[in-house]
Amino acid sequence: MTKRLRFRVDELKTDIGVLKGLELQVGKIVEEWEEPEGPTPMPSIADLRKWDYKLLQRYKPMYLPFCDLCCLCTFGKCDLSRNKRGACGLDISAQQSRIVLLACCIGAATHLAHARDLVEWLIENYGRNAPIDLGKQVFLEAPHVRLVTGIKPKTLGDLEDALDYAETEVTRLLACTHIGQEGSNLDFESKVFHAGMLDHVAMEIADIAQTAVLGFPKADPDAPLVDIGLGTIDINKPVIMVIGHMVEPSVGIIDYLKKSGLEDSVEVCGLCCSAHELTRYSPERGKIVGPISWQLRFVRTGVPDVIVLDEQCIRTDLPLEAKKINAVVIATSAKNMQGFPDMTHEDPDKIVELLIAKKIPGVFIHESETEKIGEVAVKAAIKIAPLRARYKALPSEEEIIKMAEKCVQCGNCVRACPHNLPIQDAMLAAKNGNLKKLAELYDHCIACIRCEKACRANIPILTLIMKASEKIFKAEKFKVRAGRGPIQDTEIRTVGQPIVLGEIPGVIAFVGCANYANGGKEVMEMCEEFLKRNYIVTVSGCAAMTIGMYKNEEGKTLYELYPGTFDAGGLVNVGSCVANAHISGAAIKIASIFAKRNLRANYAEIADYVHNRVGACGIAWGAMSQKAASIASGFWRLGVPVIVGPHGSKYRRMLLGRKDREEDWYVYDAFTGEKVYVGPVPEHLFYAAETKEEAMVMAAKLCMRASDTTKGRSIKLTNYIDLHKKFFGELPDDLHLFIRREADIPITMKDEILEFLRKKGWEERREVPNPTLLEELVRKNE
Amino acid sequence: MSKELTGQIAEIPGPIKALVVIKEPKVAAAIIKKAKRPLIIVGDLATKYDEKGFDSISLITEVGKAVNAHINVTGPLIRKFRETGYDKVYFMSAPEVVDRLRDESWKGHDGNGGYDLVIFIGFRYYYAWLMLNGLKHYAFKWLKTMSLDPYYQPNATYTLPTMKIGEWREFIKKILNIIKG
Repeated sequence: MTKRLRFRVDELKTDIGVLKGLELQVGKIVEEWEEPEGPTPMPSIADLRKWDYKLLQRYKPMYLPFCDLCCLCTFGKCDLSRNKRGACGLDISAQQSRIVLLACCIGAATHLAHARDLVEWLIENYGRNAPIDLGKQVFLEAPHVRLVTGIKPKTLGDLEDALDYAETEVTRLLACTHIGQEGSNLDFESKVFHAGMLDHVAMEIADIAQTAVLGFPKADPDAPLVDIGLGTIDINKPVIMVIGHMVEPSVGIIDYLKKSGLEDSVEVCGLCCSAHELTRYSPERGKIVGPISWQLRFVRTGVPDVIVLDEQCIRTDLPLEAKKINAVVIATSAKNMQGFPDMTHEDPDKIVELLIAKKIPGVFIHESETEKIGEVAVKAAIKIAPLRARYKALPSEEEIIKMAEKCVQCGNCVRACPHNLPIQDAMLAAKNGNLKKLAELYDHCIACIRCEKACRANIPILTLIMKASEKIFKAEKFKVRAGRGPIQDTEIRTVGQPIVLGEIPGVIAFVGCANYANGGKEVMEMCEEFLKRNYIVTVSGCAAMTIGMYKNEEGKTLYELYPGTFDAGGLVNVGSCVANAHISGAAIKIASIFAKRNLRANYAEIADYVHNRVGACGIAWGAMSQKAASIASGFWRLGVPVIVGPHGSKYRRMLLGRKDREEDWYVYDAFTGEKVYVGPVPEHLFYAAETKEEAMVMAAKLCMRASDTTKGRSIKLTNYIDLHKKFFGELPDDLHLFIRREADIPITMKDEILEFLRKKGWEERREVPNPTLLEELVRKNE
Repeated sequence: MSKELTGQIAEIPGPIKALVVIKEPKVAAAIIKKAKRPLIIVGDLATKYDEKGFDSISLITEVGKAVNAHINVTGPLIRKFRETGYDKVYFMSAPEVVDRLRDESWKGHDGNGGYDLVIFIGFRYYYAWLMLNGLKHYAFKWLKTMSLDPYYQPNATYTLPTMKIGEWREFIKKILNIIKG
């Protein structure tokens, strides 16, 4: 391992004088570890291109241009319709891939910058030599970092080299999107994969760094259950709301409350990943309001006294919304300063005084000054809460009916709504005193307020929906398991074999944002379906929150019904966005811990293993952001399929296999070198489903892998067929492509399936216990 | 209100917009009848505007039967389409069928040749927008597309204008009546 040698002396008295502040850095030293280095340490853009092309040969991009033009340079706008090329020579396919690459660079850069800021802050506070200790059950601490960079990090300081590498690569990738660079759509796609791989390195660094030193649950299946929901917030106390993705402001606030003995006097709650981090840091004190789409809902209730912004996915008009309810806003990330004065070095009491007196519209205090953030937030909340009492309520029913009376029924709200929700009808009903239709919008509305912006009468439509739904949201009191972080090595040892042999039908990951096309309940329903079927279900980010916001008839959420273990029927909340790396990391760990493949700088071999053997599938049902795009692309490079909801079609291309093209589905038998047809497993790599039913059936299908044993394939087929029949009422028409031998057929359906196979002219074919797409692996791992 | 309002405010069409905005049912009927190998792709929202006297599944099936069209159902509505007994109903998801349609060599659901007209009905506006745009760019040489949802879909070759639902129901019924002659 390469390592910087740093030597620092604060003060040294010698015979010849006193040395102060001496810091010496002598290049790097190399620390070896037992595993031999693989072929691609710190791969650059072209190094894994061959592997990418293997995938892209199977999963060809299907472009669905969201825009037919390019307007990225002053030659433009250029019309790229129907194979026209722009002034720079680029065609529409390459332009779509280029935009995807841009999105993935934005996503990866966002996680990288997050990781860099976090690691710097942690090093400042805990020292460069603070160990990467993820608990007694985690020895393989950083599967992505080891796999991609060849570094085995032991301390926080060791993570810096991996960050340096990833930052350099993302810069190179971004350069590829400049005019007059890449011209091939497939090479753009390969670069998209590269961005995704780097993104998972970045996410892993961020999460293992904070988990190692901040007292988060460490790979703990029994991480505590924490409160979630608007109804859990005690509005009689001053309320501080954190929003974004960073942990630093929460650390400052919680620590200050403890230090000042005010723990029981102030409510601290959060949204989006900041809420995950808050409750991982302080499960006793922190509460989760909800996923990112709850931000305006919460602000419109008037409840938060102080809003602490950090970074990523935060509405940029939140300060304007805060002003309407007279709340104090503290910005804490240099990436999101909101035009506020920088008072990082100012006296906290003076800042509070200025904020309360409204002499400043808000304040920026750099995230590294956590103590100051905590002190200002708490003091400001306590001072302003009594002054804001009249803001802590929604308008009365009479008032909102009056507002609805202004509606001119132009229908702009419906056309502005991403889901074309029937807002116009609801307003008409509200005009007549009936608020029921407004309340019916609540579970489907993502609170983007595009309707309000389009409204000719300036009606605050979301506020009306909130008032009509007051009883519903006040009853939102749920439990979600705090993010547990990594998967234990021991868990991997237990489930590695049944996953690879197919006896656990699959690992389904519900990840991503909350841009649901048909309400969040669908995510919970899908999750429950797979839990009942004994899949391992992992969750993260906003999806993890949404899943916890529905109860069964006994009043329990899925988190209270299913264990948090990484095992069949387990519901594993890894945590925030950056914790997604533990989900992909688990697949890598299976290759390393269970199959004993060398991990170190050995990307293509491990990805080939994961693609052909680890039956996993991601579902990002409400994927919205650029980060979601780069997270997905990191899964793609590992050969793990991802399904998105209907809005995901706006990522403008899918990666689809063609099961009717037999030639696309051959692998090498690594024992013999023979090329063998294995069927379309997995059939697609990136797929935007139209309905939850389609997503569930597809996910079950996408968990099939070339290496499945007959018993494993039979179990996977049982689920695929059963779901297909349940939702579509018939046997899947492609069943014959997945049945290799009669022994694969689920016993309870044998007669029906044999009849189906007979009609299809099906013939038995051989299994391939050791499949690979890489010729160089033939006979290597015997 | 302009009839060429898109179904969502920010969906601004590109330089190539629908060839024909169908203002009269007889125009839609003529285009459908003229097709040699029509395919009707039915999305999950096809029954969203059903009411007494307007059964979209029955209407779509009758159109299919009248012009010998294949009907591709993309989701759970397949159960109901099977119940109609029409033997040219196929089940394939929207991404998969669109992927095949942009392949000129695809021989259709029955293996007897590609389609020349694809009719979309029952889709979320933006989802159809994207699927139709994929076909507009990548299948324009051999395929015409039509949207029969009640919104202006500029990426289709032929589209209805944005219309009120009641008006749209009558429009669809008239198309069927004309086709059945």
